[in-house]
This record gives sequence, structure tokens and C-alpha cells, in this order.
Amino acid sequence: MTDPHDELTPAERQAFQALPLEAEPPKGLEDRTVALLQARGVLAVPLRPVGTVPRRWQPAWLVGALAASVALFASGFASGQYLGARSATIAAAVGLGGSIAERTQHVQRTGSDYVAALAALSQERDTSDIAGRQQATQTALSALGAAAQEVARLVPDDPLAAAVLRGLTERRRAAQPPAAQRAVVWY
Amino acid sequence: MTPEVAAPAVVEPERALAERVLAGDELAFRQLYRRHTPRLFQLVLRLVGGREADAEDAVQDTWLKASERLGTFRWECAFGTWLCAIGLNVVREQARRRSRRPEVDWPENHDPPQAAPLDRVDPVDLERAVSALPAGYRTVLVLHDVEGYTHEEIGTALGIAPGTSKSQLFWARQAVRAALGSRQKGSPA
Repeated sequence: MTDPHDELTPAERQAFQALPLEAEPPKGLEDRTVALLQARGVLAVPLRPVGTVPRRWQPAWLVGALAASVALFASGFASGQYLGARSATIAAAVGLGGSIAERTQHVQRTGSDYVAALAALSQERDTSDIAGRQQATQTALSALGAAAQEVARLVPDDPLAAAVLRGLTERRRAAQPPAAQRAVVWY
Repeated sequence: MTPEVAAPAVVEPERALAERVLAGDELAFRQLYRRHTPRLFQLVLRLVGGREADAEDAVQDTWLKASERLGTFRWECAFGTWLCAIGLNVVREQARRRSRRPEVDWPENHDPPQAAPLDRVDPVDLERAVSALPAGYRTVLVLHDVEGYTHEEIGTALGIAPGTSKSQLFWARQAVRAALGSRQKGSPA
């Protein structure tokens, strides 16, 4: 049985009104929520910490980053050459299901393929195909960015991956067309 | 690291912030989050009976769902109201996942208590008594007596008839009064 005219007493009403309507959410919840939204692709992944002052291009930093990038790919290339000389059986075993060592070898081999493809592009002497060259540059940089992102995921504090990502972000922002015409090439 | 979101000289309208969120803008999301989460967190914390971990999960799920549905929000009500409605559904989904018992039922073999209205109520005791209610009763009581929803609004939000909401509220208040009354009897005047 219920009383349809049941009302709160003044004291009860006052007590309900005294209950807080807001509470401080736990620390870290905001960051975790943002990270989840980024992982789901709802929010963009910042390539440098949000809220920090953008760093200018500094020649010493740029040279260092480029040298490190070249060294990284050169080592991959050399390793790839070495692996390529080994038996096809080992190469076939390298895949998603392999051990860490096998996956590392896979990275080295495909890294060398990437560098070799870039080298072939850079030897192209035809300068008349401007759109083609732009597309090639964009593709090369996209692959570099995607690789740097994966390295950053593997080692979040790695300064080289962060530097490459920052540089690519600055470049993309500088070249960004108006929002309506934007065509993102990324993976 | 949590970035500092500078306080804007003029508060950006929520619709503009929402449009920026739809474009993937993290700072806009953080502004919306900081504006609405204290209210949302308090609501879901009460709905889950004061269990902070559950409230935290509910807030996170609520923002995930809200962000995914933001493009379909028609701005016919306040953003905060819409968000809290999502939060309410998230809490109910959580409860359903944990128990197959209908959440508006009084526990089996349990007679609803009888109690007289109170002339003196300590808000801390009241919060505790609300937390101890069965989930369905607690939901109706929080929405009506704390949040100020009407029975029609509660009926719409929970998918029940307004009359059901009224009877749930009656029994919820009785249970709270009984709990507070026994506490008062047990303590020195």
C-alpha cells in the first residue's frame, strides 16, 4: 500500500537539499578517459603534449634527429641484408605469431625494404610530375610517422620517436589546407 | 600528464565546444569534461550506492557514449541533462550486468519498512541511508528527491509508468525514514 500524498517533512526536504550536487571526480580519470577516446579514434592523438608551447625548429635538434633516423634505418638495412642472405625458412617463420626476436628481425627486414624503396624514389630524375612527387613525399613521411608512432607506443618516453612525431606535426600544420579541403593520408 | 586548460576570458558555448570535440579536439573535450563531470560524478556515485570504483567506471563509460553520440545530439535540452541521462542508463546497464534481478523490485522475503516522517535529519545519515537502499528504489529517490525530476520524467528515463515511480518513491522514503529513525533511537538525544 502506498500513500499518493506522501510528502517530505520540512526537515527531510532540508536534508535532501543539503546534499551536494557535485563531487570532485578522482584524479587521473580525465586523462584515462581522454586516452580511451584517443584509442577509439574519437579524439585526435596529439603528437606533442597538449598545452605546451610548440618548440621551434632548432638546427642542432634537427640535425641530430635526422642523423639518428638515418642511423636507425641504416642499421635496419644492414640487418635486412644480413637476414636476406639467410635461409628462406627463417624468413617465412617471421610473422605475427613469432617470438620477439623473430618480430624484431621482421622489423629490421621491412625497415630495410622501406629504405630501399625510398632510395629508388630519390633516384627518380623526372621533375615534371609535381603531383606524383608530392604524393611520394607524403607517402614516405606517412610511413615514417606511423613507424615513429609505433615506436612511441613501444617505448613511450623515447626521445627520438617523440622528436620525429613533433617534427612531422609541425610540418603537417604548416601545410594544412582549410578544413573543408583537408584530405588526411595516414595509417 | 594532464594539460592545463586555460580559463577562457569568455566561456565558450557548449555547442561550439561539442563541434570541436567532433573534430577530435582534445582541449575542447577537456573543457566539456571539467564543466560537467563534477555533477555527473556525484549523480552516478549516489546511484551506485557510494561505490567509487563503480562510479568511476560509469563516468568513463558515460563520456565514451556521449562522445560517440555527440553528432546525433539535437540540443533540445541542456548538454548536462543529456549527459546525466546517459550516465543514468550506464549505471543501469552496469547493474543489469551484475544481477539478473529486476532493479526496481524490493528484495525477496523483505517487507518494506513502516516509518513515520522525521522532524530531524542529519544529511550524513541521510546519504548513508540512501546508499543502503535497493538499487531501483535508490534510483527513483535520488532522481526525485535529490535531482528534482518529476515522476513523468523518471518514468520516461527508466521506462516505467509514473505511478510505478510514485510507489517506488513511497517505499524508498519509508525505508530511509526507518533507517534514520532506528539510528536516532540508537543515539543519545
